[in-house]
Amino acid sequence: MTEIAVVSDRTSLATSHGQRQRLQDAAFRLSTLFFALVVLTLLGGVIIALVEGSIPALKAFGLGFVATEVWNPVTEKFGALAPIYGTLITSLIAMAVGVPVSFGIAIFLTEVCPVWLKRPLGVAIELLAGIPSIIYGIWGLFVFAPFMQSTVQPFLIGTLGQLPFLEDIFMGPPYGIGILTAGIILGIMVLPFITSITRDVFETVPPMLKESAYGLGATTWEVVWRVVLPYTRVGVVGGLMLGLGRALGETMAVTFVIGNSHRIASSILAPGTTISAAIANEFTEAVGDVYTSSLVALGLILFVITFIVLTLAKLMLLRLQRNAGT
Amino acid sequence: MTQASATAVHSIDFGIYRRRRLVNGAALTLALGAAGLGLFWLVAILWTLLWNGLGSLSFGLVTQMTPPPGAEGGLLNAIFGTVVMTSLATMLGTPIGILAGTWLAEFGKTNKLAEAIRFINDILLSAPSIIVGLFIYEVLVIRMGHFSAWAGAVALAVIVIPVVVRTTEDMLKLVPNSLREAAAALGAPQWKVVTMVAYRAARNGMITGVLLAIARISGETAPLLFTALNNQFWSTDMNAPMANLPVVIFQYAMSPYEEWQRLAWGGALMITLAILILNIGARTFAALSTKSK
Amino acid sequence: MADASRTMDIRTEVRRQPTGNGAVAGAGLAEKITIRDLNFYYDGFRALKNINLPLYDRRVTAFIGPSGCGKSTLLRILNRIYDLYPKQRAEGEVLLDGDNILSAKQDLNLLRARVGMVFQKPTPFPMSIYDNIAFGVKLYEKLSGDEMDERVEFSLRRAALWDEVKDKLRQSGLSLSGGQQQRLCIARAIAVKPSVLLLDEPTSALDPISTAKCEELVDELKSDYCIAIVTHNMQQAARVSDFTAFMYLGELVEYGETETIFTNPSNEKTAEYITGRFG
Repeated sequence: MTEIAVVSDRTSLATSHGQRQRLQDAAFRLSTLFFALVVLTLLGGVIIALVEGSIPALKAFGLGFVATEVWNPVTEKFGALAPIYGTLITSLIAMAVGVPVSFGIAIFLTEVCPVWLKRPLGVAIELLAGIPSIIYGIWGLFVFAPFMQSTVQPFLIGTLGQLPFLEDIFMGPPYGIGILTAGIILGIMVLPFITSITRDVFETVPPMLKESAYGLGATTWEVVWRVVLPYTRVGVVGGLMLGLGRALGETMAVTFVIGNSHRIASSILAPGTTISAAIANEFTEAVGDVYTSSLVALGLILFVITFIVLTLAKLMLLRLQRNAGT
Repeated sequence: MTQASATAVHSIDFGIYRRRRLVNGAALTLALGAAGLGLFWLVAILWTLLWNGLGSLSFGLVTQMTPPPGAEGGLLNAIFGTVVMTSLATMLGTPIGILAGTWLAEFGKTNKLAEAIRFINDILLSAPSIIVGLFIYEVLVIRMGHFSAWAGAVALAVIVIPVVVRTTEDMLKLVPNSLREAAAALGAPQWKVVTMVAYRAARNGMITGVLLAIARISGETAPLLFTALNNQFWSTDMNAPMANLPVVIFQYAMSPYEEWQRLAWGGALMITLAILILNIGARTFAALSTKSK
Repeated sequence: MADASRTMDIRTEVRRQPTGNGAVAGAGLAEKITIRDLNFYYDGFRALKNINLPLYDRRVTAFIGPSGCGKSTLLRILNRIYDLYPKQRAEGEVLLDGDNILSAKQDLNLLRARVGMVFQKPTPFPMSIYDNIAFGVKLYEKLSGDEMDERVEFSLRRAALWDEVKDKLRQSGLSLSGGQQQRLCIARAIAVKPSVLLLDEPTSALDPISTAKCEELVDELKSDYCIAIVTHNMQQAARVSDFTAFMYLGELVEYGETETIFTNPSNEKTAEYITGRFG
C-alpha cells in the first residue's frame, strides 16, 4: 500500500510540479532576457536622445556645424570645429605622452622588474587606474598648470618657439592652462589604464615562445621588440585604442585646465576647448534652444567618434583572444 | 674565457654583438626611466592630494553644510548626496546588470543576439560619461522639467549596469559546467541551478564587480553636472537638485575663494580614499574567490 | 686549485664506476659537456642531487625517467634558460669545452648561441618562415642577402623541411602544420650553428609520422652536434640515442650506453622503469 502511494505521489509530482517548474524556468529565462534587452535599448536610447536633442542645432546650421569655428552665444551662431579640434589634439598629445611611458612601464613590469616588486607595482598601477579623473583635474589646476606657466612654457617659448616652423606651435604668452597642459594631464591620466592593459596583453605571450628566442641568444630587448610585440600587436593596438577612447571622452581632467576658449590657435600653448569640456562648462548656463541643442550636437559628435574608436579597439582585442584561444 | 667560447661558434661577429648589447642596455634603461617617470607623476599627484587634503581635514568637514563664498563650512550635504545617489544607483543598476549578465552567460551564450548585446555592453562600458549625463538630461530632466537627485541616480545607474553585466557574465562563465550538470542531475530546474548553484559559486566575483562599479561611480562628475546639479543646502528631496561631492569639488576648485578651494581638496581626498578602499575590498574579494576554487 | 679539480675528476670516475658502463662506454670520445656535482634548487626545493655526467660530442644522449624526475630541469641548465626565472639556482659545475657555464661571468646570450634548444611544443615566432630562421642568425653574423638565403636553405634542408616550404618562405611560420613547425624550430636552432642541441621532449605534441621524421632528423644531425634529448617515450630513447641516463627523484640512477641500459640495466629501478612497471 505504501508502495502504491509513493508511486502515485511521484507521478503527480511529475505532472503538476513539473508544469510549475517549466513555468518558473520560462519566467526566469524571459526576465533575464528582458534585462539583457534593456542593455541593448540603453545604447539605442542614447543615440535617439542625442539625435533628437541635436535636431534644432542641425536645422539651424546644417552640416556646416562641424566645419565652423564660430561659437557665439550672443548672436546664437555655433560651430563645432574648435572643440573637435581641441578634442583630437589633446588626445593626440595625451597618447604621445602616455603611450611610450606606458610601454616602458609595461616592459619593465613584465621583463625586467625583480619579482618582489612586480606584484606591489602591478597593484599600485591598477589602483591608480581607479582614481577618478577629477583628482587629475584639480591637481592639474593647482599644481601642474602653475608649474607649466613658470617653468615649462617659458622654456618652450624660448627654445622651440624661436625655431622656424615650430614658432607657430610654441608661441607665447605662457598662460599655464591650455591645450598642451590639458594633453599632458590626459596623458598622465590614461597612463595607468594603458599600462595595465598592455601588461595583461604582454602576459599572454607563452613563456616557451620567449624561451626559444632567449635560447637563440637574443637579448631582453630583442625578445620584446621582435617576439613579444609582434605576437601581441593586435592586442596592444586594441589596448591603445581603448586608452584613446578614454582620452577623447574624458571630461574632468581636461575641463579644469583647458581654458575654455572656442578658438583654434596655432600654438598648443594657447587655451582651447574640447567637446566634453565645452559641454561641462556651458550646459547648465546655456540659454535658448539653439545653444543647448548645439551642445547636445557636440555630444553626438563625441559619441560617434568614440563609438568608432571603441569598436575598432574591441574588434582588435577580440582577434587577440581568438589567436590566443587556438 | 670569452675568447675560447668565441672560437667554438662559427663566425660570431663581435661588432654586432657589442652593438646589440648596447641597444639592449639603452632600451632597458629607457624602459626603467619611463617607469620611473610615470610613477613619479602619479606619486606626485597622490602626494599633493594627501598634503592639501590632510591640511583641510577637520571635524567641521563632515558636520557642517557647504558654505557661501568666503565662509567656513563643511561638506555634509555633499557627502550625504553622494552616498544617497550612489546607493540608489547601485540598487537600481545591480539587479538589472546581474540578470542581463545571467542571460548572456546561461542562455544567450554564443548566439547572435548575445554577441550583439555583449558588444554594445562593452561600448557602454567605455563610453564617455558626459554622454550619459546628456542622455539622462534629455530623457528625464527635460520631461520632469527640473534637475533632480533621481536623475543623478539614474545617470549613475546607467554607468553601473555595463560594469555589473560584464563581471557577472565573466564570473558565471568561470563556474564549471560539471557543477551545473550535477545540480541538474538532481532534478533541479534551470532557474534553481542558476540562482542556487551558479550564483553561489560565482558570488565573490560578482560582489567584486559591484564594488568596482560603486568605486567607479562614486567619483563620477560629468554625468551629475546637469542631472543632479548641485545644492548648497541640506536636502533629502529626491525630486530636487542634490549636492554631491564630485560636483562640489569641481565648482569649489574652480572658484577664486580660498575656503572653497580648501574644501575641494578635502573632498577630493575623501573620495580618493573611499575609492581606494572599495578597490582594495574588491581585490580582496576577487582573491578570496580564486582561493576558494 | 688544480689539485681540487683532479680530485673532482677522480670522484666523477668513481661515481660512474658502479654502473659499470659509463667509463668504458665513453672511452675514446670527446666530452663536449661535463656535468660535475650539479645540484639545482627551485626556491629551496632541491630538484637535482649531485649529478655527474658526460655528454659526448657527435653522440645523442637521452634522458629518461618519470615525470618530475628532473630531466627537463637538467636540460634547462645546459643553456641556463632557467636564469630567466627568479628563485632558481644551480650549484656545481657544467663544463662546456672546458669552461664552466655556471660561472657568474658567463655571457648568457653567447652561451645560448652555442647551445640550441627545441621545446615540447613548436614555438614559431610571429614572422615569416624565412625570418624565423634569419632571426637568430642576424643576432651574431653579418651576412649578405645571398649568404642569408643560403643559410636559410641549408638549415631548412638540414631539418628536412626545405622541399615542403621552399615555395612559401614568406608565409607566416604559424601557417605550417605542427610537425612542420617543430622542424622549423629545429632549423632555426641549427641555423645559428650551435655545437650542442638540446631537445626537450621535441615530439610530445606531434603525430606519429612527424615524430618519425623528427627522429630521423636527430639521427642525421648527430654527425655534427652533441645532442641531448629528454623524452617520455622509451622506444624513442632506444631508437635515437647512443647513451641513456635514467633519472629518478632528482638523482641520476644509471647512465650508460643505450643498448646496455635497455638490455642489461644494472639498477633494479631502471629495470622496472624500462619494462614499464612504474612511471
